[in-house]
Amino acid sequence: MNKTEDQYYIDAVRKGNVQAFSYLVEKYQKLVYTLALKLLKKPEDAEEMAQDTFIKAYQKIDTYEGKSKFSTWLYSITYNGCISELRKRRIEFKSLDDRQISDQDEQKMHDYYRETKKEDQEKYLNLALERLPEDDQVLVTLYYYENQSMDEISLISGLTVSNVKIKIHRARKKMHELLHEMLHEEIYSLL
Amino acid sequence: MNKLDKQFGEMMKGIRIDAPSSDFTVKVMSRIQAEAAVQQRHLLQDYQPVISKKTWIILFIAFVLLMVYITVSGTEPASGTGTGFWSAISGSVDKLRMEEVSSIWQKGMGIFSSVPSIAYLILTASLALWTLDSFLARFKHQASELHVN
Repeated sequence: MNKTEDQYYIDAVRKGNVQAFSYLVEKYQKLVYTLALKLLKKPEDAEEMAQDTFIKAYQKIDTYEGKSKFSTWLYSITYNGCISELRKRRIEFKSLDDRQISDQDEQKMHDYYRETKKEDQEKYLNLALERLPEDDQVLVTLYYYENQSMDEISLISGLTVSNVKIKIHRARKKMHELLHEMLHEEIYSLL
Repeated sequence: MNKLDKQFGEMMKGIRIDAPSSDFTVKVMSRIQAEAAVQQRHLLQDYQPVISKKTWIILFIAFVLLMVYITVSGTEPASGTGTGFWSAISGSVDKLRMEEVSSIWQKGMGIFSSVPSIAYLILTASLALWTLDSFLARFKHQASELHVN
């Protein structure tokens, strides 16, 4: 149904109804912006990237063949745009093994823990997610939040399916580890 | 998806999804409208008429040459006794008994009746193509304005 709805508006845009594109902008702007923010970090950069993503999607809408979901196609534009931007800035992602949780971050987590305890697990969850490498944050968000399949994430990121699987598995393990550190046994009572 | 994965997935539904500025859609759509206007302008600039200028010139010269040939070839103008469409018209004018008008009319008609029907066919076809060409150009222009607005 979702795909059909999207297709209806895509066809309308192709026939020249420019205004029909606003439906797609409204529907996908949050996820596109969130993905851009996870990779680029700065809200103003993310907003610009999100705008550019929709402009590119509009310009290339005739090339969308409908073989994948429109969202998959749109997120791949976002992902590739962000990667190109980061390459321009010569910023490279660190792997999970390279990344060390700083003492400052740990202290922040403990502060959160003392402040909120069980009441606000979302904060811990988002904090743990933010500690992951940027590209892993995107993969985890797409897989667990946006329910994109491994194949679709492979299309978006350009990584092989097996690589996506490994990265998501490792990211999940790392998030568990971080949450465990933050909430000790309490997180497991939630699961 | 194993159990642990499923549980993690449920937990992940609680992550924060950020939102861009409240006027995000307006900003994007205004950029897209501008983009569409530029695309449309290119489309109009690229528009090629059905009949090119060159063809029109050739058609015009051919028609003029044909007219000159007919005039120079010494065909006597018909005096209203000939047969055919123009003669029929001039005949009906006679019936109105308007002598002066009818003599001018007959002179004019005489010239036309000497023109072979192929020349009329060429003229009619050219005018039809010209009308169609102008209509298509106007229609395309109107359609582009509608889409942009």
